[in-house]
Amino acid sequence: MAGAAVPEGGGKGKRKSVDAVINVVPFIDLLSCCLSFLLITAVWTQVGKLQVSQAGGASTDTTPPDPKTLVLTLTISGKGYTLIAGQGGQNIDIARKGTEYDLQALGDKLKDIKTAYPDQRTISVAAEDDVQYNDLVQTIDTCVKMGLDGVSVQAAT
Amino acid sequence: MAIQTPGKRPAKRFLKSKVMGGKFHKGKKSGNADLQLTSMVDMFTLLVIFLLSNFSASGDVLFMSKEIQLPTASHGTEIERAPVVAITDSFIGLEGQKVVDVDQIAHDEILNIQQLEDNLRDLKKREEFVHQLDKDHQFAGKINIQADKRTHFKIIKRVMYSCAMAGYGNINFAILAGKQEKGAPGTPATPPPAN
Repeated sequence: MAGAAVPEGGGKGKRKSVDAVINVVPFIDLLSCCLSFLLITAVWTQVGKLQVSQAGGASTDTTPPDPKTLVLTLTISGKGYTLIAGQGGQNIDIARKGTEYDLQALGDKLKDIKTAYPDQRTISVAAEDDVQYNDLVQTIDTCVKMGLDGVSVQAAT
Repeated sequence: MAIQTPGKRPAKRFLKSKVMGGKFHKGKKSGNADLQLTSMVDMFTLLVIFLLSNFSASGDVLFMSKEIQLPTASHGTEIERAPVVAITDSFIGLEGQKVVDVDQIAHDEILNIQQLEDNLRDLKKREEFVHQLDKDHQFAGKINIQADKRTHFKIIKRVMYSCAMAGYGNINFAILAGKQEKGAPGTPATPPPAN
């Protein structure tokens, strides 16, 4: 049991015990209350967010384009990904692997672009109507993973 | 040698021993047993420390339901308190209240969802009124979209458009923090709603 030594009384009578018993009952009460409160208010599912902006409106931005960055557009369709880097840039097609989108290949391509353009932070993701939310989120997550955290989402035309 | 009753017959030196002798005393035992509390207090302390380290002051931001399975992503940030638009297979809701059925809007020609936009406009007015004197919590147009992972982008884009029309342009997709899913081969693909 929890105990603590206290100075001896020094009286003339019978020698007092040097062990003092700490009353742990209030401590256990406090711990029980804390434990109950924390268990009730505990959040077991770790929910996060992926911040996106909505693209597609008429642009009023008249500033000249930054030569250190590209206009990156990633289209998600039933066939896979199509990545267009820069105005009039070549289309890079990444086909689906069976039922899955090839996130690994997409990550590699984005990594190459990020290496060539370190200041690149934005990407526009255009999805077709039948693309599932899960696939869209996985794609955005891959973009964020590669350092392209300025993701704007729009509908594919 | 005298006849003795069967049983333990310790040596004389054991009977006199203060340490061993107690075992052979046949006196009445005390009914009180000391409860060993130290290990219990240790366990409680550890549990409290663990739960405190995982404690989230923001609490549950989303209205979790069985109808909505969130996708998993590994690079999300901590979700903040904001109005929640929930999208399931059957309905679209706002702040835990059903707003419109998906079937009801599936055949609309226009992009926005009028009922959702009206509700969001009302919510925005309320938020602006409540925080009009609170400079630290001005309306920032933040909204959380909590959609089932099988929802088609056709619905998502309409919800996003409605949010933007109502003034909620700061859109966040709710995800489950964790390792990125390797595709979802077992995910049953629901057909896109007819236009």
